[in-house]
Amino acid sequence: MKSVKATEIAALQAALAAEHAAVYGYGVVGAMLSGADGSLAHADWLAHQEARDNLEQMLLHLGATPVAASPAYELPFPVSGAASAVRLAAFLEDGVTEAYLGLVAVTDRTLRSFGALAMQPPANRALAWRGSTVAFPGMPTAPASA
Amino acid sequence: MLAASPTTLPLFLALSACKGPAVLSGPPPLAAQTQTLLHAVTAELNLIWIYNKTMAEYSGLGPALAPLLAEHRAHLARLSARVVEPPGKKVPAAATARPAIDPTAEGALAQLRDAEQAAVGVLLNRLAAASPSLAQLYASIATSEATHVTALASRISRSRTGS
Repeated sequence: MKSVKATEIAALQAALAAEHAAVYGYGVVGAMLSGADGSLAHADWLAHQEARDNLEQMLLHLGATPVAASPAYELPFPVSGAASAVRLAAFLEDGVTEAYLGLVAVTDRTLRSFGALAMQPPANRALAWRGSTVAFPGMPTAPASA
Repeated sequence: MLAASPTTLPLFLALSACKGPAVLSGPPPLAAQTQTLLHAVTAELNLIWIYNKTMAEYSGLGPALAPLLAEHRAHLARLSARVVEPPGKKVPAAATARPAIDPTAEGALAQLRDAEQAAVGVLLNRLAAASPSLAQLYASIATSEATHVTALASRISRSRTGS
């Protein structure tokens, strides 16, 4: 088994937690949408389930116990219709993108590359929901004081 | 007489090889990380140049391309801010590649899409040797540029279907 540091396991666990949250959140999103948006939400929900399963397998392979999903999640704002559901979908994708960016800071090159590539699907899904791109996906909005 | 031993011989050889500082030698070579950062700055300048040229030739594309161009300017600013200007080496300020723009608007969009895709690949190849925070900046910019590829491909698709 490959030796991976605790920080790398923690970054994988954070990405898994974000995927758990996205799977839950898309349940809310999907309930508010119909037609093409409903189909898109369903496809995105499935994509997050697949990503979650993949991360769980990676953690098991590394000898770690994958973090479990919470029984419920507090939504960042009230979701009462299609417009707020679309905003929630973009919010969820931003959260997953940010979690994968955390993996890019680890020293293991394979995980670093995995994290960078894993950022692209959620960023593209956020683009689909928001209708616009952002300059620094996954990073805090304010310039970092490196 | 002192016999050469495995412990003293390497020390003697190392000391005898020592030279004084090289007076009048040039500045030290750039660190690999600084070199890649300067290349990343140049790559953004090149993308900005293609966007500007495309928007100048096809003003109808301006509203669609302006937000993407603004993000490239933000990338350039953030990358340039990370450069500690090495002695004798200025931070690049001009594009180094100025390709001819495709003679059709759709072709020009495809040219931008391909340039963005190439930039994503180059940035991802820079991750391994970068510091953690710089790797995150490269990854975030690569992700942004990957979304530009998607946005441009969508625009091309819409122009083909006339929607």
